[in-house]
Amino acid sequence: MTSLLDPLVTGLINGNAYALIALGLSLIFGVADLVNFAHGSVFAFGAMLGWYFAAVLHWPLPVAMLGVIVCTALLGVVIERVAVRPLARAPRIAPLLSTVAVALILDRASQLIFTPETQLFPNLLPRAAWQLGDIRISVTDLAMLGVTLTSLLLLWFFLAHTRLGRALRATAQDRDAALQMGVNAGGLEALAFAISSALAGIGGVLVGMYYRNVDPSMGFAAGIEGFAAATLGGLGNLPGAVVGGLLLGVIESYGVTWFGGSTRGMIAFGVLVLVLWLRPGGLFGSPNAGFTEPMTGTFFGRGRPVTLKRWQLAAIVAFAFVVLPLVANAYVLRVATIVAIFAILGVSLTLVAGTAGLMSIGQAGFFAIGAYTSALLVKYQAWPFWLALPAAGLLSAICAAVLISPVLKLRGHYAAIVTLGLGAIVTAAILNLPSITNGPLGVTAIPPPSVFSFVIVTPRDYYWLAMALLAIAIVVVSALQRSHLGRAWRAIREDEVAAQASGVTVASYKSLAFAIGAFVAGVAGSLLAHQYMYLNPEIFGVDISVLALTMVVLGGMSNIAGTILGAIVLVGGPELFRPLHDVRILAYGLLLLLLIRYRPQGLWIYR
Amino acid sequence: MSHERIAIGRRRVVLGGLATAAALSAPRFAQAAGEPIVYGVSGPFSGDRAAYGAVWKKGMDMAVDEINAAGGIKGRPVQLIYQDTQSDPKQSVPVAQKFVDDPKIIAELGDFSSAASMAASPIYERGKLVQFGLTNSDPKFTKGGDYMWSTAPTMQMDAALMANIATKQLNGRNAAVFYQASDWGDTSQKVFVEQYKALGGKVAALENYLLTDKDFHAILAKARQANPDVLVLFSYYTDGALLLQQAQDVGLKGRILAATSCYSNKFLDLGGSAVDGTVMSVLFFPDDPRPAIQTFVTNYQKRYGEKPDQYGARAYDAVKIIAWGTEHGGPTREGIRKAFLSGETIPSLLFGSFKFDGERRVAHYDEALITVKGSKFTYYT
Repeated sequence: MTSLLDPLVTGLINGNAYALIALGLSLIFGVADLVNFAHGSVFAFGAMLGWYFAAVLHWPLPVAMLGVIVCTALLGVVIERVAVRPLARAPRIAPLLSTVAVALILDRASQLIFTPETQLFPNLLPRAAWQLGDIRISVTDLAMLGVTLTSLLLLWFFLAHTRLGRALRATAQDRDAALQMGVNAGGLEALAFAISSALAGIGGVLVGMYYRNVDPSMGFAAGIEGFAAATLGGLGNLPGAVVGGLLLGVIESYGVTWFGGSTRGMIAFGVLVLVLWLRPGGLFGSPNAGFTEPMTGTFFGRGRPVTLKRWQLAAIVAFAFVVLPLVANAYVLRVATIVAIFAILGVSLTLVAGTAGLMSIGQAGFFAIGAYTSALLVKYQAWPFWLALPAAGLLSAICAAVLISPVLKLRGHYAAIVTLGLGAIVTAAILNLPSITNGPLGVTAIPPPSVFSFVIVTPRDYYWLAMALLAIAIVVVSALQRSHLGRAWRAIREDEVAAQASGVTVASYKSLAFAIGAFVAGVAGSLLAHQYMYLNPEIFGVDISVLALTMVVLGGMSNIAGTILGAIVLVGGPELFRPLHDVRILAYGLLLLLLIRYRPQGLWIYR
Repeated sequence: MSHERIAIGRRRVVLGGLATAAALSAPRFAQAAGEPIVYGVSGPFSGDRAAYGAVWKKGMDMAVDEINAAGGIKGRPVQLIYQDTQSDPKQSVPVAQKFVDDPKIIAELGDFSSAASMAASPIYERGKLVQFGLTNSDPKFTKGGDYMWSTAPTMQMDAALMANIATKQLNGRNAAVFYQASDWGDTSQKVFVEQYKALGGKVAALENYLLTDKDFHAILAKARQANPDVLVLFSYYTDGALLLQQAQDVGLKGRILAATSCYSNKFLDLGGSAVDGTVMSVLFFPDDPRPAIQTFVTNYQKRYGEKPDQYGARAYDAVKIIAWGTEHGGPTREGIRKAFLSGETIPSLLFGSFKFDGERRVAHYDEALITVKGSKFTYYT
């Protein structure tokens, strides 16, 4: 018989890994006020290094561990120097984006160095285990716990009892005040990156030892779990990160035991959203922690604005709508169609993230609802495409309004993580509702789009359809931005308290922005469904949400033209680099990094 | 359901196999010259599934070199154009269009995942370009159109066969089934459960997991409660090995039957002693005494310093089969399809001499039952 305690042990062990990742994320967040998307990649890189030292070079465990600590710490310093420090005066969203680029580069580099194969982590510890009543505890379990606790204690001692540690805490608490007291905040940031990256490296080795296998692409999922754990405990709160990690591990473990493995994401993020609903600052964060300065807002528009003359705009429109479809070959049109579909997704987020200042990392969820609604209505209910398209938007909008309602009071990073959770929950729900969505089987043979009786088949027709809808989305969203509504949203973005004081009902306006954004995303999803003609839940992962946000940020946040440019770079870029073969994704990551480095305020700014 | 198309047992020596061997050992003609014959490959050469792409490339490159060393196809050398899609539909769709638009390309191989392959199918179908699925076990793949062909046994066939093996060979009455929450895992599981129950078995535990999962203790501990006598895995080799290791940790015991996708040397490396005794039914086995297989294995080992796995063999075979189509139907898109349509005795490494059935899949598979003994695959006896 399995006891009720079995999942507890499993959960605690898993939670250990989350805790180590969350600890580093939280430390960086505290000191640099940055969500480090490269953190998961550092974790995976550490695991691969550990494998290399132990399995290929046959170093003993302590030496291998030390090697990993040194290498990942150095890696952390390099990331800070190359991707974060140059952006110190940039808008606060810019370094986040550059860590996304670092993650891309690091993952691909790791594949090139260590090969993409999953590798066997050598058995460095005796595989003995004890049976304590119903529970089995192995040496590795104890080692995991031991290393986590030791790391935590060392970190605590360092932070509490050394000068450097105190300076680090001071910087985390109030950077400006620390600077005035003569603290070298920049150097401390590098230190924070070194420490947290080393923690991630240790985590990587431990996970490698525990699961016995490691692969270079295991970082992204781990990073997201760590992010969730850190938020659960309260971002920036170190003991909170540990408790959050352990808690997340235990909850997932029970959830998986009771409801099945495919519900893991839904449970983890469901709990996260619930906790943030009840305690907006996480379990241990101050309830007011969410009420920091907005992430965008006042930091806008430092760069030289790009303005387009009327004739230039006309020329671009003429090119996109007339010249390109006439001269381009079908391949370019396919790429352009997909770029246009993702541009619509980006535009949907421009309204939410740029205008209303709600950083959403969950847009893929509403993209998915739209795609599935349209696909299912057209395929099984024989709806015409032109009716299913607005229906897809509408259902997305309704779902968005309902889902976001409990968490409207959240701000900044907390709002962002909740949207990340909502997106993941939607995708997980699609996976776990096979009676409606076919679950993991997906929907096949989705009919091509038709406008009244005209069926769209050729790449050129697809392109025109996507461009027509993109044009409508642009017109609608820019009209909204210029309207009274847009002013209210911008007021919320700039200063929520002031907006509320001036009589703007913040919650309703926010949920309206979210719903309208979801409508547009749903329309984009519908287009995607009828272009791919096949859907399954894998298509709508967190990576798509991150991609959408990246487009908007790269574009200059509230600027539609910029977002479209962002879509061209981000979705078209990998196609552009096709001749580079193996280093394609590496080059794409580097391009992204350079773009942010030299244009941190976004590609396109206007007033 | 058409599972009866799979026969199981030791390999018979098949005439087609001998023919291939003869072709391989034929004296080398002058290197092929002239306008190359070009096939496109769309696959995961970077990203999460890059490991599969890397093995594909090994098998395919070797097939191309062999064909060219033997004088090419009617004197023309074969060339492959690899395009990386990361098995992401966002990228496989434009790649499909790129291939379709390139008049030099007369056939296409791939993609790997269902999403990437099936989102690209409508474009290949419209471009009348054969899309050859090496690993597309989803039966819906070849239903995508007249130009979708596949040599992969469908998951229905595989799963039904596994149900038979579980009851007959392994004599399991109480199965614990673990499957990936993916189109493949879910379909296989359903077919397996139905067939297994029809054969009088009982499914004691039915647990799914996500491909990205590293921790299976929870579902394993739950399954242990049901006291199964056979563990059935619809897993890839990485998650399969991991799951079995953890099964050992939690003390879950039973005879083990794994899907053919676990058949990889990596499964042995990663699984260690935990995968000992695992039984699977495979299309390709390097110890297979047929000369064609032995020649392939020897050459592959000489070239890459490792034994080929099924993905390498399938990739190799796919190129050879398309080359056969080119030779017999003419070096055009339509020619290859016509050759496949009318070919009654298509030579191949894996299927001997075969023909495609009405669903554009291989009409008859002859699989071998193997097991893991002392970290090696051997015939199951």
